[in-house]
Amino acid sequence: MTEKSNESHPGQVNYDMMDKKRKYALLIEAHSQDLYKYALWLCKDKNMAEDVMQEAFLRAWKSLDSLREAKAAKGWLFTIFRREHARQFERKQFQYKDVEEMDTIADNQMGYDDRPEAFALRNALKRLPDDYREPLEMQVLGGFSCDEIASILDISASAVMTRLFRARKKMRQILGHESVPKLGVVGE
Amino acid sequence: MNCLDFKRLALSDPNSKDHSFVEHSKSCPECLKYVGSVRQMDSDLASSLEVTVPSDLVARLQLNQEISQSNEAVGSTRRYAIAASFALALFVAGFMASNQFGFNKQIGQDYETLLSGVVEHMNEQPMTPVWSPERANQDANALLASYDGEMKLKFLQNLQFSRICPMGKYRGLHASLETDSGQVTFAYIRGESVGELLDAGYEGYVTRVKPVRGGNLIIMSRNNKSLQQADKQLEEAMYWDI
Repeated sequence: MTEKSNESHPGQVNYDMMDKKRKYALLIEAHSQDLYKYALWLCKDKNMAEDVMQEAFLRAWKSLDSLREAKAAKGWLFTIFRREHARQFERKQFQYKDVEEMDTIADNQMGYDDRPEAFALRNALKRLPDDYREPLEMQVLGGFSCDEIASILDISASAVMTRLFRARKKMRQILGHESVPKLGVVGE
Repeated sequence: MNCLDFKRLALSDPNSKDHSFVEHSKSCPECLKYVGSVRQMDSDLASSLEVTVPSDLVARLQLNQEISQSNEAVGSTRRYAIAASFALALFVAGFMASNQFGFNKQIGQDYETLLSGVVEHMNEQPMTPVWSPERANQDANALLASYDGEMKLKFLQNLQFSRICPMGKYRGLHASLETDSGQVTFAYIRGESVGELLDAGYEGYVTRVKPVRGGNLIIMSRNNKSLQQADKQLEEAMYWDI
């Protein structure tokens, strides 16, 4: 007679661990580059960006079993990262005396393109209200669709569309592109 | 779809695959130009946010997870660790007393600087990630070639990791080999070679420092057997045409 044990079979545990490690390795390989660019842009500091990333990936490791679909991995990871970033920035408050100067220095230190037109684009993005800027960052930096952004930000897809519209319209105005016609937009 | 709707969607989602959006862009040159300018702005913005991602980022993320997992395991086996540390202390004391590996040997300044640099780095990074042998060999060869175009490494099936790392006041190739008797760390640091091979005990490691092609090879292990195995393997793999 075979006695049924409550403990997991050691071989099964090893198998599960290997499987999880493999998934985790793939997650890092596939998304760490995009996440790093996003993290650096949000944190404005290489070390801080890596710290937040490390924490986010550890949290991802701990809850990896809850990720059911590989195609949802990127959005899931960015959501974890954004939460971790918000958590860490609640603790740290920065005071910039001269934001413009600090931004220029920070941009150079982070290794961004230092041509004036590139700086102007980044500056225009920074000047957007948070609500408009976030979805645009996700679309441009993360390559997310409107539906994915809606899921990450926990808002409706139509609200994302509206915010993206306003973000780009504002960007074009700041950058002095040709005048944008007044377009009717359904409010959020 | 009229031009107004088109431009509204162009600003919301310039890469929309919506049928009427695509059709309108084909039939209206002005709107096609408009969406082109929006796409160009997105593309320029993405380029302005491009940065060089650190080449070892993936390895460090994996390492961090391994360390975290290891620390959790340590917490659960703390009682066993205390007992094991007593046993290890007894072993080390006996080993040092026997002076088999020069633990009491006076180490010259050159050797000391090299060894302390490597140990300092190993203490800062106590675990190295385990890569596939293909990747580890490929990276090691690339790094060695950057030192000296003629330096090559024959394929080592048990090479687990290789990277350029800071080691005290030096920077050099840091790599690890898995042998039958345990893991061995080795470092290759370019610069003035030490005069001759030295075996010594250092900070609880058995170590070998030897001059190699305008630099120094430092091998470290927790036991002599694995060090000898690694050195023999490295001699066959690395010292091919000196």
